[in-house]
Amino acid sequence: MNKGKLQQFLRSNLQITIILIGLLVVIIAGAIITPRFFSVNHFVNILYLNSILGVLAISQTLVIISGGIDMSVGATYWLVIMLGAQFMKGESLWGPVFICLLIGAAIGFINGFCIAKLKIPYVVMTLAMMVIITGVLYVTTGGGGGGRSAEPLTQFSIQRVLSFGTFRGMPARVIIWIALAMLFAIILNRTALGWKMRALGSNMNASVLSGIKTDRIQVLTYTLSGVLAVVAGLLYLGQARTPYPTFQSGVGVGGSITLDTIAAVVLGGTFFYGGNGGMGRTFLGVVFLSVLYSVLNMVGLQEEWRVIFNGLFILLVVGSYSRMKSKV
Amino acid sequence: MKNTINLFKKHYIYFVLLIFWVVSMAISPFFRTTSTFSSIFIGAVPIVLIGFAQNIVVIGQGFDLSVGSVASLATCIASVLMGYNQILAILVILAVCALIGFINGVGVTKFKINPFIMTLGMMFIVNGVSLILRPSPGGFIPESLKNILLFRARGFAVGPLLIIVIAGLLGNYLLKKRSLGRMIYAVGSDPVSARMSGVNVDRIKIYIFILSSIVSGIAGIFIASRISSGNATAGAGYLFDSFIVVFMGGTLVTGGVGDFSGTIAASLIIASLVSIIQFLDISSWYQYIVKGVILVIVSGIQIYFYNKRRKLNE
Repeated sequence: MNKGKLQQFLRSNLQITIILIGLLVVIIAGAIITPRFFSVNHFVNILYLNSILGVLAISQTLVIISGGIDMSVGATYWLVIMLGAQFMKGESLWGPVFICLLIGAAIGFINGFCIAKLKIPYVVMTLAMMVIITGVLYVTTGGGGGGRSAEPLTQFSIQRVLSFGTFRGMPARVIIWIALAMLFAIILNRTALGWKMRALGSNMNASVLSGIKTDRIQVLTYTLSGVLAVVAGLLYLGQARTPYPTFQSGVGVGGSITLDTIAAVVLGGTFFYGGNGGMGRTFLGVVFLSVLYSVLNMVGLQEEWRVIFNGLFILLVVGSYSRMKSKV
Repeated sequence: MKNTINLFKKHYIYFVLLIFWVVSMAISPFFRTTSTFSSIFIGAVPIVLIGFAQNIVVIGQGFDLSVGSVASLATCIASVLMGYNQILAILVILAVCALIGFINGVGVTKFKINPFIMTLGMMFIVNGVSLILRPSPGGFIPESLKNILLFRARGFAVGPLLIIVIAGLLGNYLLKKRSLGRMIYAVGSDPVSARMSGVNVDRIKIYIFILSSIVSGIAGIFIASRISSGNATAGAGYLFDSFIVVFMGGTLVTGGVGDFSGTIAASLIIASLVSIIQFLDISSWYQYIVKGVILVIVSGIQIYFYNKRRKLNE
């Protein structure tokens, strides 16, 4: 490969290259720490544990690709978990699921409406929504312990299929995650809706001028984000049975998983390309974070180190990307 | 007459505060006691300081998501070091905060990282460090510091009131009278023409972030002496409050417009609201709903009028 071609390759794939090198480093570190790191079961387990983050990251990708950020996905996710448990009470399944989907869609719709029509900055609007949801969650459910997930949902959420030999099977949750990622990848790349979303993200004014109904697309994007947060919430509810919310004092409920989704999307690189990122990148970002967390866990480093590494990696990747981009 | 209307338009937030207090006093005897106002002023100090930290960043066209976590880190450092030497502890806090702000500023200007992502990443890191320093709330804050910062005369919190007044005067002086302040406005309203007229935009932005972090650190020292311990999550909630008071005080989200006096009035309103909710014995979770709704309404109104005015100008 001559120099010009290498430069061109780097220019278009810089972010992917960085994240792949990072993934390799983390995997090597894991392999040095424990030899069992390379087993398929272990890897599937990592995916299982982070499939919820994966689903939430899909919704964050949709929002970021269309030029926004949704700080309220984590809060929506927790609200649905808590309310879902209360509605189900261990028995009815489809009614509560339907109500939860409606709630998620409504939250997303309000977000989108305020951002598109009232022109409130997305950071402010979704942050406000996260705080409002925190209040609503504790006022309505009193802080957890009430209700229980319906049995079929629990069964489904921990279900594994295709097990043979020593392979313990593919969790249904992971399959749902990958299916959703593929579905939205197709929507983003092959449909007019996806094309419009990406147009919005790369240049808002140009999209308005070229006749795209940007308001409608924005509202739709945030609504989709809310609905996907509900899907993730239901999957977790099945696993947790009787959930207790993790309240980060002051920040609001679901703050840390929201930050994780943003981290995954940023590490994947969708953030820099505006309208040009994709589900594949985010998938890679989630896998990187999952492997990283698992390695940190093996070393015995707790939550506080996790957030430090999270922040460091975001800044390293973004910083080196921005620096190298100006050079290449 | 026109002057009066203009005055009202410019300082409407003070009238809101005044009406709010008068109505509350008329309705509830609780609001006629000095101890209520003491608690309002004590509660308002961190909001005022972190509001100022956020305010200068927003005026300079940016966001700083790390303000709350920097304040938490300051409480943790204080609770660890105050036992040895108070002066040393305060110096260390200010130095660490200045370093954090410097890194933020360099990342945003030299590495061209989006301010939102830069300060988000910083928030992660600072949160983690605070948790390592103080996994659970605790530590030691000396009485002498508390006596100075929370100084009371006849039961009234004179210290916090003085801090608010001094912070207000200093902040206004910095923003309106010093050249640094004017440059912050210039950078925020139009970075390109600021650069053309000889302002070193990158340097001003770095100053903005350093100042923001240092003021958040000072707020952290106050929080530490109020809760008399270090707590890795004590400052987190103030991030949200800072957005509310900045926008309520009339600072535009697009940068370049705003002042500090509005932020102070807004902080007093928020602190009063919090103490009303406590007094009425409503579950404190309603605070979150009320605050969130206020933020949406305030920024919605502000942007509505901004767009209207811009259309008129065109």
